[in-house]
Amino acid sequence: MNPIYLFFHKTGSPPWFYKYSGKLIPWLWAVFLILTAYGLYLGLVVAPADYQQGESVRIMYLHVPSAWMSMMIYGLMAIMGFIALVWRIRIMEVLVISSAPVGAAFTVIALITGSLWGRPTWGTYWVWDARLTSELVLLFLYFGVIALYNAFDEPRKAARAASLMSIVGAINLPIIYFSVEWWNTLHQGSSMGSSGTGIHPSMLLPLLLMATATKFFYGANLLSRARLTLLKQDHRKRWVQDLLSKESH
Amino acid sequence: MSHTPFIVGAYLISAVVLFWAAFAPVINKRSLLRQLKNRQANMDKSQ
Repeated sequence: MNPIYLFFHKTGSPPWFYKYSGKLIPWLWAVFLILTAYGLYLGLVVAPADYQQGESVRIMYLHVPSAWMSMMIYGLMAIMGFIALVWRIRIMEVLVISSAPVGAAFTVIALITGSLWGRPTWGTYWVWDARLTSELVLLFLYFGVIALYNAFDEPRKAARAASLMSIVGAINLPIIYFSVEWWNTLHQGSSMGSSGTGIHPSMLLPLLLMATATKFFYGANLLSRARLTLLKQDHRKRWVQDLLSKESH
Repeated sequence: MSHTPFIVGAYLISAVVLFWAAFAPVINKRSLLRQLKNRQANMDKSQ
C-alpha cells in the first residue's frame, strides 16, 4: 500500500488514534503550562505599560492570542470538514465537532477581554463596529455548529451536517480579518503583518509566547474531546469493550 | 481611571473559561466510563 494511504489509514483508525493521542496529551499540557507561565511572567511583570494604553495593554496578551485562535480553529474546522465530506474520513468528522467548543471558548475570551480593554481605552464596553460584530457572528457560528451536531440522532449524519456548516461559515473569516480595512472601524488595524511589526520586543515576546501556548492548549483539549467523542460513538464496539475490560482488571 | 479591575477581571474570566474548556471533557469521560462499566457489570451478572 502507498505509504501516504497507509499513514491516513492508520491514524484514522479510532483505536490507534485513541491510544496514541492519550500518550501525546500530557506533553501538550506540559508545554502549554510552561509557555503560559513564562508568557504571563513577561507580560505581567517584565513588559512595560504602553505609552498610550497604559497598564490595560496587559489585557492584549490574552485578547490577541484568543482572537487569533478563534479564527484559526474555525479555519481548521472548515479544512477538516472539507476532508471529512470529500474523503469520508471519520476521524476528521470527530475533530471538527471536537474543535467547536474550544473555538467557542477562545471567541468568548476574545470578546470579553476586548470589551474589558475597550472600557478604559475607548470609553465603552461595546460598539457595533465591523470587527466586533463579525467576531460575535463567529461565536454564533460556533454555537450553530454545536447545536446542529446535537440536533441529529445519528452521529455521522450530524458530523457531516456540522462539517458542511463549518465550510459555509468560513466565509466570515476574511470578513473578520479585512473588516478593519474595508470599513471605518473603531477597532485598530493589524499591528503585525507581512511587512513586520511595530511592537517593541519587550511586548512582542510575551505576546508570541502566549500565542504559541494557546496552540498547545487547543491541541491537548482537542485530543481530549476527540477521545471522548470516539468513546461515546463507539461504546458498543469491540475496541471500547476491550478497553473497559483492561481498565477494570 | 484605574485599569487594575479590568485587567484582573479579564484574566479571571479567561482562566474560568479555559478551566471549563480543559476539565469538561475529563469529567464527562469519567462519568461515561463509569456508566459503561456499570452497564457491562450488569450484563455480566444477567448472563
